[in-house]
Amino acid sequence: MTDTQMVPALQLAGLVKRFGDKTAVGGVDLVVPAGSFYGLVGPNGAGKTTTLSMATGLLRPDAGGAWVHGVDVWADPVRAKALIGNLADGVRLFDRLTGEQLITYTAMMFSVPRDQIAPRVADLIALMDLGEAAGTIVADYSAGMTKKVALACALVHAPRLLVLDEPFESVDPVSAANIEDVLRSYTSSGGTIIISSHSMDLVQRMCDHVAVIAAGRVLAAGTVDEVRAGESLQDRFLSLVGGRHTSEGPQWLRQS
Amino acid sequence: MVATVLRLRYRILGNSLARRPWQLVGFCFGILWALGILTSVVAGLVAVAVFQGLEAARATVVIGGSALVLGWVLGPVLIAGMDTTVDAEKLAPFPLSATQIMAALTATGVTGIPGIATSIAALATIALWVRWPLAAIAAVVCIVLGVLTCVVASRLVSALSSGLGGNRRGREFVGTIVLILLIMAGPIVTGTLALTSADVRDRIPRIADVLGWTPIGAVWAVPADVAAGQGVSAVARLLIAAATLAALWLLWARALRGAVTTPRQRAAKVARSGALGLFGRMPTGGVGATWARSLTAWLRDPRYLRQLLIVPLFPLLFAFTSGIDGFMFSSSAVLVALVLCLSGYTDVSYDGTAFASVLATGIRGRDDRLGRLLGAASIGIPLIVLLAVVTTAVGGRLEHLPGILGASLGLVLGGYGVSAVSSALLVTPVAAPGDSPFKSVPGQTFLTGLLVFVVMGACLVIGAPAIAFAVAGFITGAAVWGWVALVVGIVVGGGAAVLGVWLGGRTLDRTGPDLLQRIRAFPTT
Repeated sequence: MTDTQMVPALQLAGLVKRFGDKTAVGGVDLVVPAGSFYGLVGPNGAGKTTTLSMATGLLRPDAGGAWVHGVDVWADPVRAKALIGNLADGVRLFDRLTGEQLITYTAMMFSVPRDQIAPRVADLIALMDLGEAAGTIVADYSAGMTKKVALACALVHAPRLLVLDEPFESVDPVSAANIEDVLRSYTSSGGTIIISSHSMDLVQRMCDHVAVIAAGRVLAAGTVDEVRAGESLQDRFLSLVGGRHTSEGPQWLRQS
Repeated sequence: MVATVLRLRYRILGNSLARRPWQLVGFCFGILWALGILTSVVAGLVAVAVFQGLEAARATVVIGGSALVLGWVLGPVLIAGMDTTVDAEKLAPFPLSATQIMAALTATGVTGIPGIATSIAALATIALWVRWPLAAIAAVVCIVLGVLTCVVASRLVSALSSGLGGNRRGREFVGTIVLILLIMAGPIVTGTLALTSADVRDRIPRIADVLGWTPIGAVWAVPADVAAGQGVSAVARLLIAAATLAALWLLWARALRGAVTTPRQRAAKVARSGALGLFGRMPTGGVGATWARSLTAWLRDPRYLRQLLIVPLFPLLFAFTSGIDGFMFSSSAVLVALVLCLSGYTDVSYDGTAFASVLATGIRGRDDRLGRLLGAASIGIPLIVLLAVVTTAVGGRLEHLPGILGASLGLVLGGYGVSAVSSALLVTPVAAPGDSPFKSVPGQTFLTGLLVFVVMGACLVIGAPAIAFAVAGFITGAAVWGWVALVVGIVVGGGAAVLGVWLGGRTLDRTGPDLLQRIRAFPTT
């Protein structure tokens, strides 16, 4: 193993974030090895988005740090962010631009040379099946199309680390399968991906590593096989997180 | 059902005030202000009732009432913004008929602070008719009609300006047109009043008489007719008033039907692929990208365009009030510059949470500042130069051009510098992209409102040297001072802009994530 492969693609140490008196993330440590496809799973409100925001320099942690390929995100954000392709959840895009303009704009922000921008944008639009909508402004896109154009923006500068928060939410199955192929080929060529998802099937199918996070803490982390310990990831997740009900639901909701 | 919606509205108000102490302060000031106005209105009405006759009572109530209706129509659009805490779109998912929704919205309008203040003021007019019991009884009916007219008219304007229920482009287009018309209405009315002001006192009864036959004034004129024993006229005016309210109600029902059944329709306009606009022309890199994005927003986003509307507004206003050969008309570029230099003082707010995508690219603060400045300047500077040339040429004062250019460029360039720093420190809640630019935004606090004056003060200090030289030129008549003002304006303003980009850039490098966190914490509607 060479030296660069020893340095993790993403390392989080002791990340803490409080909002008022509520602790959203209470000390998260995570090591994402270079070249891995890392899944981050957890129930609603577990702190996944908060953790990823702190890892990508969007949200200042109250304590702890994040390193991307050894670059401290909070000490040298300019250099660290140039390595990251970020698909953030729950934020707007500049949705008054057309899809094509938005991807071009993002490429310009990352200083992609002018002569490479047009071919990259064309490739991404074909990849995301956005050809017909390339000239439509993003505000008029459906939820799935918006997700796809945001994903294209995250890819356009060929980052070494992709941080994808709920990338497949509302994306149609055909596009999702196409995107999966591209992401697999990206990791096999040495790129690193960390994705957060609610879909255990997807994580079990695509990822080689997984971390289960709940109430702002990591409950289990490692390779998928280590974490699921012989069970299906779904069952292992439920037993780790708890909170499963077995009721049929309230009587008044039943139709007969 | 109406009671449920009312409870909901007060629950929302209570929750948002409890969470934001500074908003509570602003709210209390609003109530004090309303109380102050009410006290003086009631005192004035009592004075008229005691000391004046029927004719004065009629003129007071008709002119005051008409102004009230106009205020309800224009006020929310021009000053206060629409109250969208509870609106038709949010009530649409519930199994309510259109009539129920309208009843609920009317009730929330009447029971809001402006509604309560209006009702009290209108009820106080009964004092005018104590000497004519029959008129007092008629007044009660008319007050109910009048207050309802105010509320329904205001709701109709709000439904129209937030779109005819059609697609996004249509909504933005209608919104902008309504805004232009309303802004133009101001100067035209002022000008007309100024032209006729010579003997305006003699004309008051006549104005009241004419207004009394219009939809906005008829309802207020009925009690005076009853008091004077003019039965036919009273019935005719009552019919006009009732027809007005009915027409407003029907138009509103129609606008709502559109809004509720076709919410946020997708627009079909598509640019041909490869149409990159400015993004194809600007150099790659953070500055070029931000410049292209910012200039595109200045050219297309109604929230930015709204700020450019003041460019024609000032010269028109001065042309009407003091004529095109007046000093104010040919100096209007300076005032436009003073307002434009404030336009970007919380520029990051307009990005909304899309600022996350700026932050994620790791762009250096100074590149972001420079890009935004170039975007604003690409449209602001040409407009100001054009305005200065046109107004001085039309006003026949071309000899003042260098001084006026110097003062306005000094102000606007300095303002860009100040904005580069202030927008790295401040964010305020603004209408989201695509929302009506007139929408009132929750979370705007008393404190951030005051900061505008700090920013404006800083712009004035930077613009002061050039303004001083320009004024010296106007007083002494020596052309050389005008040219000195031009050089000083460009050098001092330009210096401030460069300094602002550097200082604002360093600030943004530090504060970027905090700005994003504050934007995300704004209440969304």
